[in-house]
Amino acid sequence: MQKQDIETQYTIEDSQSLEDGNRNDTMTINMGPQHPSTHGVLRLILTINGETVVKAVPDIGFLHTGIEKTAEAKTYHQALVLTDRMEYLSPLCNNLGYSLAVEKLLGIEDEITDKIKFVRVLLAELQRIASHLVFLGTHALDLGAMSVFLYCFREREMILDVFEEISGVRMMTSYICPGGLQADLTPAFDGKVRAFTSIFLDRLQEYHDLLTNNQLWMERTKGVGILSAKDAIAYGASGPVLRGSNVVWDIRKAFPYSGYEKFDFDIPVGTNGDVYDRYLVRMLEMEQSLKLVNQALEGMPTGAYRVHNPKVAPPPKWQITGSMEALIHHFKLYTEGYRPPKGEVFVRTEAPKGELGFYIVSDGTAKPYRMHVRAPSFANLEALPLMIEGGFLADVVAAIGSIDIVLGEVDR
Amino acid sequence: MAITATSTVAMVREKFPQAVVETVDFRGEETIVLLPEQLVVVCAYLQKNQQYSFLSSVTAVDWLEREPRYDVVYHLMSIPNQSELRLKVRVGQHGEEHPSVPTVSGIWPGANWYEREVYDLFGIPFAGHPDLRRILMPMDWTTHPLRKDYPLRGFDLPEPHWGGQVPYDTDPGVGSQTMRTPYSRELNESRSKFTESQEPGTDKK
Repeated sequence: MQKQDIETQYTIEDSQSLEDGNRNDTMTINMGPQHPSTHGVLRLILTINGETVVKAVPDIGFLHTGIEKTAEAKTYHQALVLTDRMEYLSPLCNNLGYSLAVEKLLGIEDEITDKIKFVRVLLAELQRIASHLVFLGTHALDLGAMSVFLYCFREREMILDVFEEISGVRMMTSYICPGGLQADLTPAFDGKVRAFTSIFLDRLQEYHDLLTNNQLWMERTKGVGILSAKDAIAYGASGPVLRGSNVVWDIRKAFPYSGYEKFDFDIPVGTNGDVYDRYLVRMLEMEQSLKLVNQALEGMPTGAYRVHNPKVAPPPKWQITGSMEALIHHFKLYTEGYRPPKGEVFVRTEAPKGELGFYIVSDGTAKPYRMHVRAPSFANLEALPLMIEGGFLADVVAAIGSIDIVLGEVDR
Repeated sequence: MAITATSTVAMVREKFPQAVVETVDFRGEETIVLLPEQLVVVCAYLQKNQQYSFLSSVTAVDWLEREPRYDVVYHLMSIPNQSELRLKVRVGQHGEEHPSVPTVSGIWPGANWYEREVYDLFGIPFAGHPDLRRILMPMDWTTHPLRKDYPLRGFDLPEPHWGGQVPYDTDPGVGSQTMRTPYSRELNESRSKFTESQEPGTDKK
């Protein structure tokens, strides 16, 4: 059952002359797991013939942390922090997906206020921009454009400052939680977001100037790593990879969640499904995300930042000190957690990398009986051999960068 | 008429009455529980005739006390109709260590890795799968971590016990490293103290 032969062959196979005189030398080489352009610990076993990749076998699991297993031993609120660590470039989007799934399981979707929904959309879109900035920076760095990386991280810092302002931490925020948000927005939040939104469109134009019409960039990315629409769907690719292959599909439009139906935005799509299209889709998505952030900021309603349901969200501090009932609720919530009814839900959200699904099975206790995560990078990576087989070895790096994998999410 | 999850459930019930065990509607999500032997036929029908061209994920749930023990769960999505559907098969009769499920990787090529993951973490082999290897755990791992009888931590075994392999001797990276081969295992004292039957997840009910 195990194919050990792939694992052990690292030799140049015997060269043999074909009938037409061409030699057929293939060599099996190992790329990763410690390779700067594999974006983490991805290992690729490549069979190459000269410069051409004949066969590519991805090998994953180097970052397997057993998050799905760990979640089974945590209460629903504790398991939230695990979701931050899966897709560590966009923890808030993971928090959002998880929170929506738990809320659906609890049946408290109707209690979520507009304020919570707007803040969630705003943060998820800021996170999408931050994630795409990391994509852009590292992807360009892989292909030799170093300066883009530095600019992108400059702008990403501003977004991380916003997260630090509201939650106290830059990355693993756990700010969006089942039942609302961990804390209310701070007075300085609005100003910090506006400081970012006011400059970002210009900065985005700078990236476009650096890359979009750059002849070198186009040579490296156009017609490289092509994934057809049919293959993308068959392999379950999602997000910018699917849209780059000219499939108009966005979970935010198809199955609107968290009030996305109230917002106005477009779905950018590519034409050929090559590396350039996936790059351009993400660039245009950042513009749309900025539009969403502005809409959420302008239309931000007032209201409670968590639901008035003492079984799910703790009562305010002033009640705990004055009311025995509130103290009991607080105590029960943090010692036992809440118990959703028996059942199972699967909630899809559009994370920066693609379709993020949380499948949570409840057996009526305070801990999830099973939590499965449909990680977008996992399916996108599965389609990688289709993109790179038949292409040049140097284009492998371009293709890996263009699917924007995060191995923390692939291996979970 | 537009295809929705509800209409698909009715269609499957009408078309394959012998295949459907039950249908469940919880929180607006439709689930069809199928017989394992009918799974491929129904999936092929859904993919071709009902436009469920997108397989979101394949996973499993271990109900340790229940008979049959495992749920294998498929999440389907239809891009043209914007509908979603969950399929489920129940396998694992009493005493069956590795209950088999037919593969759907012929219908959705993307199922390949998901089924490898289920095989790896639950020990459910998929009959007819083109490349059934472990995907997340090391190749020489012997057990299946997401089973409910697999301990979260704290094996009742001498340390270090890493599921049947000992990666290094005492001082990783320095001095004489033990190679990961069956022969070198005897160099590690703790390894030789326990037997095969003590492996987690293998105790027979």
